[in-house]
Amino acid sequence: MSNIAGKSYAMNVVTPAKWYLTWLNKLFFGFVQLPGGAAYLKGLLTLSLIHYARWAIVSPKQFPHLDPSQPKETIKYSYMFFFSNFNGSWAQYVDSFHTAIPGGLDLFWTKNVKYPKSVPLQPFHAYITYNQVWTNHYYNAYPLASSNDVKNAQHLSGKLRAFNDVHSNDDPQDFQQAYNALLLEVQGAISIMEPTPIISLSAQAVEERLSHESEVNSA
Amino acid sequence: MSLSGLLSVLKILFIGGIQQLFNKLTGKKSPPSAAGLTILCPIINGSCGQKSYAMQTRQYLQDMPLHEESPMAKVPNTYLCRFYVLNDVFYEGAPAVEEHLNSKYIVFSSNYYGDLDTYLTGMWEHAQEEVQKIWQHAVTFDRVQNAADFVAYIKRCQVNNSLFFNGSTGEPLEEQLKNLYLKQEFSRFVYEHQGLKPEELQCAFKAFIARTQPKNMSAPTWIAGAHKEIVKDS
Repeated sequence: MSNIAGKSYAMNVVTPAKWYLTWLNKLFFGFVQLPGGAAYLKGLLTLSLIHYARWAIVSPKQFPHLDPSQPKETIKYSYMFFFSNFNGSWAQYVDSFHTAIPGGLDLFWTKNVKYPKSVPLQPFHAYITYNQVWTNHYYNAYPLASSNDVKNAQHLSGKLRAFNDVHSNDDPQDFQQAYNALLLEVQGAISIMEPTPIISLSAQAVEERLSHESEVNSA
Repeated sequence: MSLSGLLSVLKILFIGGIQQLFNKLTGKKSPPSAAGLTILCPIINGSCGQKSYAMQTRQYLQDMPLHEESPMAKVPNTYLCRFYVLNDVFYEGAPAVEEHLNSKYIVFSSNYYGDLDTYLTGMWEHAQEEVQKIWQHAVTFDRVQNAADFVAYIKRCQVNNSLFFNGSTGEPLEEQLKNLYLKQEFSRFVYEHQGLKPEELQCAFKAFIARTQPKNMSAPTWIAGAHKEIVKDS
């Protein structure tokens, strides 16, 4: 069991909301997807530490019922499922959100039962901790890369391919001049990606256990 | 607008999201991009021996190999995904109402590229053995016999995302991995080729391009899920 795969952390939060009020959440989620409402997501983009995140609101009737042998759900609340894939530790992530987009968080979780609001920090920490579910298996296609690495790689590779198409057969002096200009343009994307440092005691425990298992298996 | 039209708009607005309505009104068609799949699959209530089916499912998920050995590394276009078993919902304390689920659920959340049918078909074709083990105790999964059944089953368990946030690039995974490989290799090239004469630099750069093949997406490139640098050469 681990919420961590390389540089990514998987957060799962499940919170109840009165079913007849979740239209407010859905309205806000819909609004921020419109061109004019995208400004509300600017904080998420600015944070730049998220690969992907999502919210899914599931009403009592929307819990899948596949067969008469399966008991029907009798719950009254709707439940909001939140999933995030982000870089860094739990505390860094929650604190960044609390600091950068407290208003947006309050709108996303508006009317959820006993949501304490994102400010002050400690009740918000307690709310997320209490409602978090641990991941049983987490897979990341690029454990060495942060979200910014993926975006920088796209930027750098595009420029590199274009540079090669245009300048590879230039006169050597012109080539070097163009090469230096390329470096200036992509300097923010030039860095070596390496395995992430251990960011929590639990992550360290997982690493140690896997290392031990590997040694036992190879012995 | 007719009543059925109005109902259709309301359904799109509150179930499918305002973005769909906007796209419908403007005729805009989204290009293939990153997407999010969220499913809740009920697990059969019961046990085998002293372990409930939910516990067995959780144990299997927790024991699955990680990183490049994960079965999900074999599934084309999976960026990041997770599984967990939802035992129950949370009681928030008085005056909230205490309630409990009547089933436990496998929650599968995947961030992938492309259309859902292609993605799920690829999942069945590339990781069928593990898929069948993961879902072996799920309600009605014993009726899933082939890729088409699997796609239909997953869609029955799918719940709509109210908001999907893409903080990444939305390219196919193969392109992302190639770009990461190029970023790493070019960064090394830059560090190692400082202060050269123009002729030497150009010669080294041509060798770098010949080795890394920037336009060849399939090789050389990074292996999906690798927790250390593993380059696929062919």
